[in-house]
Amino acid sequence: MYEQTIGRLPEWAQPVAEYILYTGLENTLKIAAISVAISVIVGVLLGTLMTIDFLPVRAAIRLYIEIWRGLPIIVTIFLLYFALPTLADELHIGLLSRIADPLRASIVGLGLWGSAQIAEATRGAVQSIPKEQHEASAALGFGWVGRHVNVILPQAWRRLIPPLVGLCVGVIQNSTLASILGVPEVLEAAQRQTNALAVPTVDPQTLEIAGGDSHALEIYLGIFVLFFLISFPLTRLAAFLERRLVQ
Amino acid sequence: MNVLASFDWGYIWERREVLAEGLKVTLELAAIGIAGAFALGLVLGAARAYRIPVISQLAAVYVELIRNTPILVQIFLIAYGLPKVSKTLQFDFFDVACIALIIWGGAFNTENFRAGFEAVPARYREAAYALGFSPIRTFLNISLPIGGRIALPSSINTYISVFKNTALMVAISVEELTNVAKQSIDLDFRTWEMMAVLAVTYLTLVWTMSALIRLLERHLALPEAN
Repeated sequence: MYEQTIGRLPEWAQPVAEYILYTGLENTLKIAAISVAISVIVGVLLGTLMTIDFLPVRAAIRLYIEIWRGLPIIVTIFLLYFALPTLADELHIGLLSRIADPLRASIVGLGLWGSAQIAEATRGAVQSIPKEQHEASAALGFGWVGRHVNVILPQAWRRLIPPLVGLCVGVIQNSTLASILGVPEVLEAAQRQTNALAVPTVDPQTLEIAGGDSHALEIYLGIFVLFFLISFPLTRLAAFLERRLVQ
Repeated sequence: MNVLASFDWGYIWERREVLAEGLKVTLELAAIGIAGAFALGLVLGAARAYRIPVISQLAAVYVELIRNTPILVQIFLIAYGLPKVSKTLQFDFFDVACIALIIWGGAFNTENFRAGFEAVPARYREAAYALGFSPIRTFLNISLPIGGRIALPSSINTYISVFKNTALMVAISVEELTNVAKQSIDLDFRTWEMMAVLAVTYLTLVWTMSALIRLLERHLALPEAN
């Protein structure tokens, strides 16, 4: 069925659409999925830790949030891709140098940015739970970890869902930054196809050179629509969840 | 640690003129983008809040289209797609960068100002009309000062994002700070020196602007809110 809908496009468009949808979209969704997972795990942990009564920890997490939220994401990605390997070599941490690959640098860069957003949202959500809940669960014999995992976070979770959906939109859109390092996500895939189509062709018989048409308008408009179709339902959903929460 | 020991302050000093030139372009882009986003957001935000027919609906579509697509795709569409529509739409890449920043920031700012104007209680406007103010004077003297203040923190957040988005222009080879630093890295491999310059510059400017929000919030708080 899929093949058939693509089959109705003009001749040049079929391989372009296939490359963008199969290779490009797959990479975009992969980058987005892993970055969102990193953001949620790290963000919820740091955001919860931000509510404890120990200043050095709070200050360290605040610094983490302000740095990764403050830097343009592309600068964070460059930092991971260009600067991290030198540091990794000197500290002899092999794991660090393995981040310095275009795909992984993009994923981790987005994860640092996303985790800062989620940490801030989690802090607010956890602090919105009345302190009686803490006292009651403490009275029932829960420790700090048990109290948060079993009582506080399940209640705070409700408030976290709208920002989480918003984060998914942000991460999907910002995954296009990976194209700057050449990761073949949707934008890079589109760029490669316009470049390939623009190459002039030589007729083997007459040796006449015909200028290629990049079809840049159709292709970039196409991925513009593609991103819109993915993002719009998600932003509507986030707005709906937000409204329901207020009621 | 070796990274610190081999950190070459002299290299940064050597590149100071190139870096200053890059920072100048970044600040120019940001200034044009912010000014344009302010103007566009103010006009379209008012059109949305007061439901001016046609303009209001078109503005709503514009806002949704821009907010739900990556700015990098918008930049490529303007840089490479528009010239295909007409040769007159072929801009040099500095102009493409300005247009993209204004369109992007304008969409977010339309929402900020719409929310600001809608938060102005209707009874204020009714009072103005009762005093014989014309609709335009009511807007300029009542809705703008009050709604503008309400919209200020969120619109400054948009300006901060516009400023951070100037770094994306590395993708279309505009010679702004990030691009200049990256070119230096490609040339001399003094990675840490250049990344430190980038990080410190962006964080200083972004943190200053965020501090400004908190300052203005206190300074411009509506008397009624206290």
